[in-house]
Amino acid sequence: MLGAAIVTTTGNREAFIENYKGILEYTTESIVLQGKNCKICFEGKKLSIDYYTNEDMKISGMIDAVRYF
Amino acid sequence: MLHWIQYIRGYVTIKVWGYSAERLLNLCGNHDILVWGIKDHGDYHTMNISVQGFFALKPLLKKTGTRAAVLQRYGLPFFVSKMYRRKIFVIGLVGCMLFWILTSGYIWNIKIDGNFALTEDVLLDYLEEQGVHTAMKKSRLRIEDLERALREDYDIITWTSVQLDGTTLLVHIKENEMPEYDQSSQSKNDKGMDLIADRSGTVSYIITRSGVPQVALGDTVEKGDVLVSGAVPVYNEDTTVRKYQFVQSDADIILRYGEDISVEKSVAYEEKRYTGEEKKIYVLGAGDKEWSLRLRKIPYAAYDSSEEKKQVKLLDHLYLPFSYGHRIVKEYEITEQKHTEEEMKTLMQEEWDKIITTLDEKGVQIAEKNVTIKKNDKKWVLNAHMQLEEAAVKLVPTSTEPVVEEETQEETPTE
Repeated sequence: MLGAAIVTTTGNREAFIENYKGILEYTTESIVLQGKNCKICFEGKKLSIDYYTNEDMKISGMIDAVRYF
Repeated sequence: MLHWIQYIRGYVTIKVWGYSAERLLNLCGNHDILVWGIKDHGDYHTMNISVQGFFALKPLLKKTGTRAAVLQRYGLPFFVSKMYRRKIFVIGLVGCMLFWILTSGYIWNIKIDGNFALTEDVLLDYLEEQGVHTAMKKSRLRIEDLERALREDYDIITWTSVQLDGTTLLVHIKENEMPEYDQSSQSKNDKGMDLIADRSGTVSYIITRSGVPQVALGDTVEKGDVLVSGAVPVYNEDTTVRKYQFVQSDADIILRYGEDISVEKSVAYEEKRYTGEEKKIYVLGAGDKEWSLRLRKIPYAAYDSSEEKKQVKLLDHLYLPFSYGHRIVKEYEITEQKHTEEEMKTLMQEEWDKIITTLDEKGVQIAEKNVTIKKNDKKWVLNAHMQLEEAAVKLVPTSTEPVVEEETQEETPTE
C-alpha cells in the first residue's frame, strides 16, 4: 500500500517507524503519530524518542500496546 | 562512528517548554534538523540537537510558541573554545608533552654489568672517550660500532651487548676469566729472557731449569743483578764463545733479606660519640647541581652526613636528569679515651696479624723473627726484626748481545 506507515518493533522495547506524517502527542506514557490514513498510538511506560527525522524515527521504552485508530 | 561525527561537529542538549513541543518536532523533521534523545519530563522536553540545528531552531520556536534553553554543550567546538580560555593549562599540557618527547630522545643513564676486572669508572671513561655519555642524543649512538670498539680495545672483553632500554643505555660485557698470557712477545722474542733479582738479598735456594745460573747458594745480590742468564754460550774449541743460544730462563730462586717493621699505637684515642641529635635535610638535584631545602646553617660543630638520593625515572627505564632525596646530619662529640692494657694487647695482636697476612699474600715467608714490644704510658711500640724469604725475581729480555760477526766468519769455512 502506497504511503502506509511501516512499524517495526523489536520485542516490546523498541519500535522503528517510517512513512509517517508527523507527531501529534508525546508523553512518557503514550506517543501518537499521524499516518497517511490513520493515527498510530504507542502506549507504555518510560517512552522516549531516540531520534526523529522527516523519514523515520525510533521509539524506545516499555511498549504495552500499539493501537491504530 | 555517528558518535564521533556528532562529537566533532558539536551538539547541545536543550530544554523545550511551551505550547506544543510535538509541533516543534514535526517542524524540525520538515526542516531536516536532526534531533535525538528526546525525553519527556512532564512540563518540558529535553533533546539533543546539532549546533547548526540549534541556530536554525529560532524561527521554529517563534512559530510554535515554545521556548528553548541550552542545558549542556558537548563536542569538539566547545572543548576548543573552553581550552582557549585556559591558555596556561593548554600551554602546560603541550609543553609537558614536548618535554617528554624531547627528553626521551636522550640517554639519561648508563648501566654496565658483567665487569669484574674492569671497573665501572674505567668503562665509563672509555665510553666518554667514544663520545657516549649521559645527556647524549640516542640517534647519535652507533650501537654496533660501540660494541666492536669495546671488544677491540679491551682484549679481556670477549663478548659485548649494548642495548637501549627507554632512556637507559645497558652495556653488558663478558670478561675472559682466564688471564691471557702475552705469548706473542715471548715467542717472537728470540733474544732470550734473563731472570733478575727484584730486590737485594742473599740467595738461599736455587734450582735452574733452563738458562745459565750466574749466582750460587749463599751469594749476596743487589736489585737488578742477573741471576739466571737466558743466553747459553756455545764455545769454540779455544773456549771462546762461538755463539749464544737464547732461551727463556726458568728457575726457582729464593732470596733472603732482613727487614725491620715498627708499629706504633698510642694509648689515648679519640672516640666519636653521637649525641643523638640529627637533622633531615631534603635535597633536590638537576644535572650536576644540587640544592638543599634548608636555609639556615647546620647548628652542629661536628657532624656526619649521609645522603640518600634517587634519580627521577618514569616507568622502569626512563631516567630523567633530576634527583631528589634527603641528607641526614648527625651530631657527634669527640672525647679523649684511653685503651686498657687488654685492649692494647688485642690491638697489637691485630696489627701483627695484619703484617703477617700481608706478607703471606705477597708470597713472602718468615725465616726468622725477633719481636719486641716497648710499652709506656703514652704508646706501645712493636719492633720486629725479621728474616724474610721471597721468590723475588723478574723476567726481562736478556742484556747479552748475540755474537754476529764471529758466527758468520766461523760458519763460512765449514760450508
